[in-house]
Amino acid sequence: MAEQTDLVEAVSVLRDEVLETAEHGDRDPPGSEVFDALLRALSIGGESVPGLDLQLHESVSRRLAWGDSEEVALSDAEMVFDRLMIAVERAFRDPDDQIVVVEAALQVAVTVARVVSLAAVARATRDRASRMREEMSQRQLSEVLEKQKANIAKLEQDLKSGFR
Amino acid sequence: MTTIPPPLGVRVAGDTNVGKVRTTNEDSMIVDPGRGLYVVLDGMGGANAGDIASQTARDAILSFVAARRTVMEPKALMEAAIQSGSAAVFGAAQAHRERHGMGTTAVACLLVDAKRAVIGHVGDSRAYLLRQGRLQMLTRDHTIVEELVDRGLLSADEAERHPYKNVLSRNLGSRAETRVDVVELELKPGDRLLLCSDGLYGYAAAEAIQYVLGSGDAPEHVARDLIELALRGGGGDNVTTIVIEAPQALATTTQLVKTSGAVAWWQRRQRFLQVAKESGLTRNPIVRGLEPNEALELVGLSLCQAIFHDLEKSTGVNVWTFAQNLAGGWFERGGEWAPLRGMMDILGESARVVVDEIRALEPELGFLLDVAVSRALVVAELALGGLLAERLRQVDSELIQLHTAAQETMDAPALDDGANLNDTGERFIERPTIPFLRADRPITNPGESAEVMNAIEKTLTIARARTAPRAELVKQVLTGLEAVAMDSASNFAASVIAARDLYGTRTVDEAGVMPLFDALDQARILTASSVHQIQASPATRARVLRVISAAHQRLVGAATGLVLEATAPHSEKLRESQAVTSELRDKVAQAERKRAELERRFATNVDPSLPWGARGTTEW
Repeated sequence: MAEQTDLVEAVSVLRDEVLETAEHGDRDPPGSEVFDALLRALSIGGESVPGLDLQLHESVSRRLAWGDSEEVALSDAEMVFDRLMIAVERAFRDPDDQIVVVEAALQVAVTVARVVSLAAVARATRDRASRMREEMSQRQLSEVLEKQKANIAKLEQDLKSGFR
Repeated sequence: MTTIPPPLGVRVAGDTNVGKVRTTNEDSMIVDPGRGLYVVLDGMGGANAGDIASQTARDAILSFVAARRTVMEPKALMEAAIQSGSAAVFGAAQAHRERHGMGTTAVACLLVDAKRAVIGHVGDSRAYLLRQGRLQMLTRDHTIVEELVDRGLLSADEAERHPYKNVLSRNLGSRAETRVDVVELELKPGDRLLLCSDGLYGYAAAEAIQYVLGSGDAPEHVARDLIELALRGGGGDNVTTIVIEAPQALATTTQLVKTSGAVAWWQRRQRFLQVAKESGLTRNPIVRGLEPNEALELVGLSLCQAIFHDLEKSTGVNVWTFAQNLAGGWFERGGEWAPLRGMMDILGESARVVVDEIRALEPELGFLLDVAVSRALVVAELALGGLLAERLRQVDSELIQLHTAAQETMDAPALDDGANLNDTGERFIERPTIPFLRADRPITNPGESAEVMNAIEKTLTIARARTAPRAELVKQVLTGLEAVAMDSASNFAASVIAARDLYGTRTVDEAGVMPLFDALDQARILTASSVHQIQASPATRARVLRVISAAHQRLVGAATGLVLEATAPHSEKLRESQAVTSELRDKVAQAERKRAELERRFATNVDPSLPWGARGTTEW
């Protein structure tokens, strides 16, 4: 079994194969945050507390904030995982190395799913709150509109009556 | 003009004017808050006798009430006082031959206390009551025509055109005694009583009287404005008005801001403009190309007016509209955010300077005004925020569209593959609610050997055995994993079904969703460690872990898809709700423009020197 640093380097080599760098360039192609998280997980080694990779949280959240949908973020993570499975089988002859990388990859994939779900739930909460505010605004606006209509009718009546 | 400080919360003011035609004022009045006596008298008779008649009656009534106010019952006192006035005028007419035939009308109000009034009248001077915005006449004119109408001999229309419509059937002075109509009235908080001579209602429409009386202005302003109303209507007679306002139920802070606060703010508009100018309003890029005075008027005065009207009406619509128009116009011209922020800061700071100055002079009012103006400025910021959020949503939407278009272009060949899959019946997921489960995704376990399948089963059996007894959700995940990993069809059907079973019924919040991912994570750790427990070659173990991990990843993906599916309707409903709000807001803005225009036309007729709408009764 390769040393941990060697393993990280060996996985790094798969970057171009796993990410679509040919289409998107080397800078932040879709799913790069997942691949980077995998490298971090391999560097640390061993099991970590689920979802503790704050950098992954931050990267996914930033993508969502910049307009990527949760579906797209999740889809990219799945794409990286699927390609990685194929690449790992081809690139690593040592089964133990394969096991380490696959374990780390799944850990990252589950973390991404957790982050995306948290973001979706937070969005739903915000949307619920916003909708309540919208409905309150609508009630107020409806009241205002009714009063405006009454005022307009009254003013029109006053003007018609020839008030000078 | 007579203005009396309010006793016991009652506010009273009276005013009289000779009119535009007459040379002498034959009207008289009594405004005596000490005794609660208020009277309007309209004298008549040639050779200056009209004014003598009204003054004689006035003096007699005042003396009578002064002497007996505390000893007589109010209604009897009222009747007797007016009778005494009549007797005094009659006596004076008898004493001077040239004053024969002189007389006077009288309409009197005796305030018994803050809640009770007695109204007495003779002739065609009138008493009105304004209650909750509605004007009602409390007296009936004692004219011959009116008597004929009462007897059914004339219609109302005929009475209006009758040549003798102003000939009185009763007055004070033609006889020693006269019949006095007396009514008792229970006052309600905020009621307004108006006593007036025919010089008012003969030259001003009842609707206009109601409008001015209900304006919410102080009685002294109302009394003066009513006179102005009659003068604008021709001013063909002497005109006298007395306005009596019953105490308000509770002088709320809102009312204080609506009246005194709004006026105090408006009175300092020049100071506001001065501060805004000194702060650089005229140099802001938004008003580039405008003369300084134009810029101040266009932006500064507009905000000043908007705040004034919002204070007056206890609303925020004017400031909201102002901010939206200012920002919307600027953004449409391709303007940037910084100048707009600068402009809003200038306006906000200028407003605060003005409010601080008011506060230094009148601490209580200043405090309330501070709150109200701060509220108006917050409304302006909210309007800006709403506009910016809308723009951000537009940009987001455009970016997503561009991104999706790019993705579709890249994915085009893969979609063809998906179509082929569909043709062979291998494609399961077509539901748009889980779009990330793409048909073109590579299948990582296209068919495993019996040895591997057997090892997978053993791994999951070990994992189950190591699961805590009460971790039902983890056990469910492991069952789902087995179904997905052992699925010979190697498509996503099993993962979606397993995820749906796993998802079950959940609340869409962290408490509902996070246990699901905790269980998925726990199962991942368990299976990873269990792989090392099976009796198999390292290659087989690696293969088993790859298959289980792929299955796990699909299960996690499907579960996340269900979370997204559950959260999607909230966004959709929000968008629908926002569309409804936007539509309503447009309607309100449209109605506001119409109302403002009507009010401007209306108010200009009342007093051109006031800002439009200053006399509006509209409150919203």
